[in-house]
Amino acid sequence: MSKKDEDGDYNPYASIDKSAVVQEARQAFNETTINPRRCNLVLNKLLFLLYSGEPLGTTEATETFFAITKLFQCKNITIRRLVYLAIKELAKVANDVIIVTSSLTKDMTAKEDMYRPAAIRALCRITDSTMLQGIERYMKQAIVDRNPAVSSAALVSSLHLLGSNQDIIKRWVNEITEALNGKTLMAQYHALGLLYHIKQRDRLAVTKLVTSQTKGSLRSSLAYCNLIRYAVGSMQDDPALYNELLQFLDLCLRHKSELVVYEAARAICSLKNVTNKDIIPALSVMQLFLTAPKSIMRFAAVRTLSQVANRYPTAVAVTNIELENLIQDSNRSIATLAITTLLKTGREASVDRLMTQITPFMSEISDEFKIVVIDAIRTLCLKFPQKHIVVLDFLSAVFRDDGSFEYKKAIVDTITSIIHEIPAAREIALNHLAEFVEDCEHPALSARALHMLGRLAPQSSFPSRYVRIIYNRVVLESPIVRAAAVSSLAKFAVSPNSSNLAPMIIALLSRCLHDTDDEVRDRAAFYLRVLSSDEAHVKSFIMSDLPYSITALERSLVDYLKNPSATPFNLKTVPLQAPSAKPEFSKADIMAGVVPSSAAVAGSAAALAAAGGIAAVGGAAGINLSAAQQQDRNAARLAAHPELGQLGPLFRSSKPTPLTEAETEYVVSCTRHIFSRAVVFEYELTNTLNDQLLEDVKVQLDCPDGFIVRKVIPAKSLPYGKPAFSYVVVELPQDPKIVSGTFSNTLKFLVKDCDPNTGEPDDEQGYPDEYLVEDVELQVSDQVVPIEFPDFAAAWNALPQDSEVSDTFELASMKSLEEAVSTVIGFLGLFSCGRPQPNASKSAQALQLSGVFRGGDQVLVNAKLLFKGPGEGVAMQLTVRSSNLQTSEIIASAVG
Amino acid sequence: MSWFKAIVEWFKSLFWKEEMELTLVGLQNSGKTTFVNVIASGQFSEDMIPTVGFNMRKVTKGNVTIKLWDIGGQPRFRSMWERYCRGVNCIVYMVDAADHEKLEAARNELHGLLEKPQLNGIPVLVLGNKNDLPDAFSVEELIVRLNLKAISNREVCCYSVSCKKQDNIDITLQWLIKHSKSSK
Repeated sequence: MSKKDEDGDYNPYASIDKSAVVQEARQAFNETTINPRRCNLVLNKLLFLLYSGEPLGTTEATETFFAITKLFQCKNITIRRLVYLAIKELAKVANDVIIVTSSLTKDMTAKEDMYRPAAIRALCRITDSTMLQGIERYMKQAIVDRNPAVSSAALVSSLHLLGSNQDIIKRWVNEITEALNGKTLMAQYHALGLLYHIKQRDRLAVTKLVTSQTKGSLRSSLAYCNLIRYAVGSMQDDPALYNELLQFLDLCLRHKSELVVYEAARAICSLKNVTNKDIIPALSVMQLFLTAPKSIMRFAAVRTLSQVANRYPTAVAVTNIELENLIQDSNRSIATLAITTLLKTGREASVDRLMTQITPFMSEISDEFKIVVIDAIRTLCLKFPQKHIVVLDFLSAVFRDDGSFEYKKAIVDTITSIIHEIPAAREIALNHLAEFVEDCEHPALSARALHMLGRLAPQSSFPSRYVRIIYNRVVLESPIVRAAAVSSLAKFAVSPNSSNLAPMIIALLSRCLHDTDDEVRDRAAFYLRVLSSDEAHVKSFIMSDLPYSITALERSLVDYLKNPSATPFNLKTVPLQAPSAKPEFSKADIMAGVVPSSAAVAGSAAALAAAGGIAAVGGAAGINLSAAQQQDRNAARLAAHPELGQLGPLFRSSKPTPLTEAETEYVVSCTRHIFSRAVVFEYELTNTLNDQLLEDVKVQLDCPDGFIVRKVIPAKSLPYGKPAFSYVVVELPQDPKIVSGTFSNTLKFLVKDCDPNTGEPDDEQGYPDEYLVEDVELQVSDQVVPIEFPDFAAAWNALPQDSEVSDTFELASMKSLEEAVSTVIGFLGLFSCGRPQPNASKSAQALQLSGVFRGGDQVLVNAKLLFKGPGEGVAMQLTVRSSNLQTSEIIASAVG
Repeated sequence: MSWFKAIVEWFKSLFWKEEMELTLVGLQNSGKTTFVNVIASGQFSEDMIPTVGFNMRKVTKGNVTIKLWDIGGQPRFRSMWERYCRGVNCIVYMVDAADHEKLEAARNELHGLLEKPQLNGIPVLVLGNKNDLPDAFSVEELIVRLNLKAISNREVCCYSVSCKKQDNIDITLQWLIKHSKSSK
């Protein structure tokens, strides 16, 4: 025994058996005279089992639970507290646990302070919404109890109960507010959190809570930190409060608790559109923390700075001296973050030195930090493109280290963006990428790298070198990688630069026909067939992806098979898909710090924010559907309304345009769904008045000449807070040249006053009313899907010359070339082929735009823009070609 | 010399101290919790709330310590009565003698409870409470209406009591103490 005691790992409960403990519990607890020592031991064993996740069946748990209730006869404090713990655990499985309600209620109101908080916590665990009303009185008393432990227990338990008992707990707001204004710090913290969660769904109430408390006298620093987080949420929600709350945050920077000071500084740094002037006080605080003796403070500060540095490199640069010192910090995490921050803020001259300093670190830090470093290096390289050799050497060195998928992915992402953003680095980067596929243990990343090689390596100076490397993958790798390699090889055969390799590629692909994997063989066979075709345009399938939404294509094909017809399947009926924002992130995105691999960091920040209740801020990213998903959703929603009539396939849908301010009585937004001969205006309606029920809500649309309203589908009822949809189907004018116009909208409906709590209307009658909302524009860009044509020149030549329309425009109001370019792209809604490269003088630019017009006509645009000088605007020559003259004219007229 | 007296008391209690455990059941609003209060402290209160679950009380009368399990009488607790009746010295079944409508339910619950094999042989004391009310049944009427004669495998006793007027509480206590552990 004594030997075992010396052994630190000895666990007295290691060998206990569940059924034996349950049996022992039943015996010990049911004895006429309780033996506290024995019961104590048995309870401990039982709790050990429960806490280590040993599952108990319902019967077993119920039997044990009732045996435990017998221990209420024992006044021993230790036993009673163990009983509470066991009740809390068993309440999840056992039946009839409400039997201890009375006993626990007695304990929570007893004189013994050792019982009360724990009894409250146990009681709330066994209580359901029907029982809660019975103990409501005691809970209210406990919330305002003088004993802080009791008050806190009641507040936290209320928070746990809040989920399904909103209405009951809302009635306790007075008591909770009293606790908030009380003397005990802990209760203050818990009360503030509870109040926030009660009001969470009501933005105005949250704002009121925040503004009143910022003027109030919170003394708990933890509560203060939460208040700061809520304040940030309110600032983002309501711009009118921005300045007032920013002042509050500024004030917090001088708080006596460093916890609050840090939280406020971090909050200011996290604000989306904070100005340089406003962020400086926060950065000075961080600067001070960088030299703090506590390493946690240094870490917190440097971590925040490394995030802010993405957006405000020059402002953060003032801390460079402190950061330099931190490179020697004994804490590796602090040192790493210091270096990465310096990489973002430093000058070009210091890059080489920093890169040498960072190399020895890499093997010593965790993958999560490695990703931070890689992200910083990516930003750095895009900022100083001349440094790409150092950076790529570094990346290829860290390739070879072991690392997680996320880490390796960050490296590949970085190389990818270097390839896209720095043309000079392309060849070297491709070389590294080729090296990377040689020893990559993650098939998904290999496949990605192979895809990149397939797209870009054919244009390099030695395509044959890559062919050898890629073919090696076909011999050595798993099926996924082999399939990717086959696709990659095929691209070499069609690329103009490497077409001399075609016979060799065909030979290699023929060998792949004997592969053991179906997918690899299928791909090889497909490419061989395409390559042997004489038609040039067929080969374009190898280079580019299908411009169709795959799910929509599948749906169309299924429909076609269901209703067989003599006509062949027409690909033009399939909705087109705009090329999703390029998979690689643009330079601007990376500079702004919204890169995917920093998701790990952003994610933890979001988690923190959510914990603080600012979920709304980070949440926006979560609901950003891809364009294709959105399109499919729109189509499905419209298909759910057969009364819209036969309109044919949906061509595209615009983004919803708000027609009202966000804070008005009725919130309306409009989405235009374009069909080949009609437009469906879809109005999403939200009623923000809780004492009104609207019925038969429809939009009266006044159309410009030529457009005819065919159908109006009202929303039958529009209760408070539940959005509903109303539709107007408009037939497009017979004259094909009229494609755009302004439509004015009036909302017409029947109002019924109703009880805000139940939503039941007070009377049956109601009265008609109307509500004017803003006009909605139908534009050419609504009716165009931007599509990428990989070979613009070939596509241009393929279109009939007589469809060409050419015109010159004076864009007098444009202040710069960039502005003119984005305006023109915005007007036309077309895809911009290739990155716009302003020439050296930066006063002229050529644009190549492509897309498909409603009905399926290809549209290509060649534009030349010339910046004439400040104040004089931009001159533009626009040449449009499409499948027919009419369409070209429509497109050309869109700019005018 | 008080310490000497205390030691004597302690020795005395070693030999004479008795302990008993009993469970108090019956339909809601029959006066179970009131009864506990009356024998524990002599306090009667009109203003009672329903027992949600059970109350556990220890009462010392002379040299007998009585452990009382007072179980809620609402329908949802009735299935749990049996769990608390197992192994006790005596079951006290409280009946509201003045509530004629609920008497049949009271009879069914009582017989249902006593059918449980685990409770075989445990003595039952039926108390017809509220005998101060004008239309309360007498002991004889209760015996008939509750069909107590049909209970054969155990000792059964029935008293008519009033917690409010403290009527017959003393003889009830005497009966209970007689059935404590030592006298069994």
